[in-house]
Amino acid sequence: MQLDDTLWEIPAASRADMRVPARVFADRELLEAIAADRALEQLQNVATLPGIVDAALAMPDVHQGYGFPVGGVAATALPDGVVSPGGVGYDINCGVRLLALPLSAEELGAHCEPLVHEFSRAIPAGAGKHGPLRLPLDELDEVLRAGPRALLARGIGCEDDLVRTESGGCLPGAEPGAVSARAHERGCGQLGTAGSGNHFIELQRVDRVFDRTAADAFGLGEGQLTVLIHSGSRGLGHQVCTDHVRIMDAVQARYGIVLPDRQLACAPASSPEGRAYLAAMAAAANFAFANRQALAHAVREAIRRVLGPNAARATRQVYDVAHNVAKVEQHGGRDVLVHRKGATRAFPAGSVEIPGDFAHVGQPVFIPGSMGTSSYVLAGEPGSLERSFGTTCHGAGRTMSRTRARATIGGAELRRQLEAQGIVVRCPSNRGLSEEAPFAYKDVGHVVSIVERAGLARRVARLVPLGVVKG
Amino acid sequence: MFGDMTPPARVAPQHHFVEHGGEVEVELEAEDEAGIFAAALDTFTELVAGNADGESMEIQIGLRGRDRTLLLVDWLNELLFHAEVEQFVPRHITAIELEDETLQATVVGYRGTPRPLVKGVALNRLAFEQEGGVWHGRVVFDV
Repeated sequence: MQLDDTLWEIPAASRADMRVPARVFADRELLEAIAADRALEQLQNVATLPGIVDAALAMPDVHQGYGFPVGGVAATALPDGVVSPGGVGYDINCGVRLLALPLSAEELGAHCEPLVHEFSRAIPAGAGKHGPLRLPLDELDEVLRAGPRALLARGIGCEDDLVRTESGGCLPGAEPGAVSARAHERGCGQLGTAGSGNHFIELQRVDRVFDRTAADAFGLGEGQLTVLIHSGSRGLGHQVCTDHVRIMDAVQARYGIVLPDRQLACAPASSPEGRAYLAAMAAAANFAFANRQALAHAVREAIRRVLGPNAARATRQVYDVAHNVAKVEQHGGRDVLVHRKGATRAFPAGSVEIPGDFAHVGQPVFIPGSMGTSSYVLAGEPGSLERSFGTTCHGAGRTMSRTRARATIGGAELRRQLEAQGIVVRCPSNRGLSEEAPFAYKDVGHVVSIVERAGLARRVARLVPLGVVKG
Repeated sequence: MFGDMTPPARVAPQHHFVEHGGEVEVELEAEDEAGIFAAALDTFTELVAGNADGESMEIQIGLRGRDRTLLLVDWLNELLFHAEVEQFVPRHITAIELEDETLQATVVGYRGTPRPLVKGVALNRLAFEQEGGVWHGRVVFDV
């Protein structure tokens, strides 16, 4: 059922177990693409969660995941609404950080390829324990408690970076003791590693500015160089999710919870199991913020080596936002736990959580496109608070399986095509490259146009790739 | 009268990837339960193995799970853990013992550079069942 220009609803009455409607932000064309996989069925499953309020929401980049669809949003009423680790996902606080360099693409000139190459040397994908920053357990626990602030004493990042990070880079309530020994073991050598799959470090040029006031506030101008970093909490966060899905799978019957999908395993947020997960999830989220801080440090060091110390020193962080997280927020006059699974917080101008420099324009949001296409910088709009628990999309959204993408184009051929477009590619795996082929994703411009029409966020700038490093 | 007495054809452990809009879904097939674990191992190796081939390694895996589906997930999680912290790339199982709720296995492989692709093994669409004399499994990996 179409509710308006960009919003569609599957009524709660369509299935006996749905507690609220399922709503999708899309136009007719995107909705048809979304309906091609199991994303809508998964969204309906989310609508069965105990304590869910208003509606289960899907952003226009939604696609099939496991449990929650990727691009799904659900808010549960506190204190007794549930928390579902699958509603955050394995890669807790997977997110993006944007850096703005003090020079233009024109000024970069012939240094483009050496710079991208230096990024690839400085940033390992992260197999095994061979990250650049192996911390002893007590220091790792400090990162879990405090996030990137714990790295400042090592000269990694600066106070301004923390201000320009969602929640200051530190979710409250983090308890290292709630993170298992196995998660610690997986995470202790992984700070400063990017991971694989759709994670990347991309050198970009600001191709077009749509909103001059907001772009000025974000420190972005046409022609300027930027670096977009996409990574998360690595093995530590993955293990936290694994551990707590299993715990909740075992106990949910005790709370009388019956679910249509085992991966939605959940418990009341106020229960011992719910509290333990939230404490561990916050710790993993802090680790992810710190990981992106370490990656940004590696990028700055690479800039220093190729372009000199002045360019490195003047490379500023625009902002850092989470894509996979559950946060306690106030919406509609009550406290709710907002699960964002492949979705971005997008608070509008005037929100107290936004850094002072951006308070008059809204929170920065970064929407990576597929490899070889544009990415967007957006700003949160008031409609996000009215319609989507302060949330917008997080990317283009897959439209083709990895299997089919691989069968459609070989990695070597894709590499040639991207390089023919003038994009420097560094990726050790042809298989990994082909799985992330641009045609495997929706048109990011189309996705962004929907959130703009829906009043969730507005376009500030468009970024085009000059080089990409993938794990 | 007896029915068809032809013994069923041997089903070597096998796996094939199926269409999944976002993650990696795989279907497993084998003539016995142990074969499903072997097919799952082959899948994992296909996903993570790089080109490098280092020193030989052997690991012991001991698991307890209240049903076969959870045991299958734990099996893959165990391989994931060893890949991440020891850079272990599995080749095959040399011994496996399955009881009602336990699994003991010896896995040989090598220390390599496993691709850090797999993040977790979901309970979504998970299956482990026998049909027509053949065992089937299904797993979704978060990648």
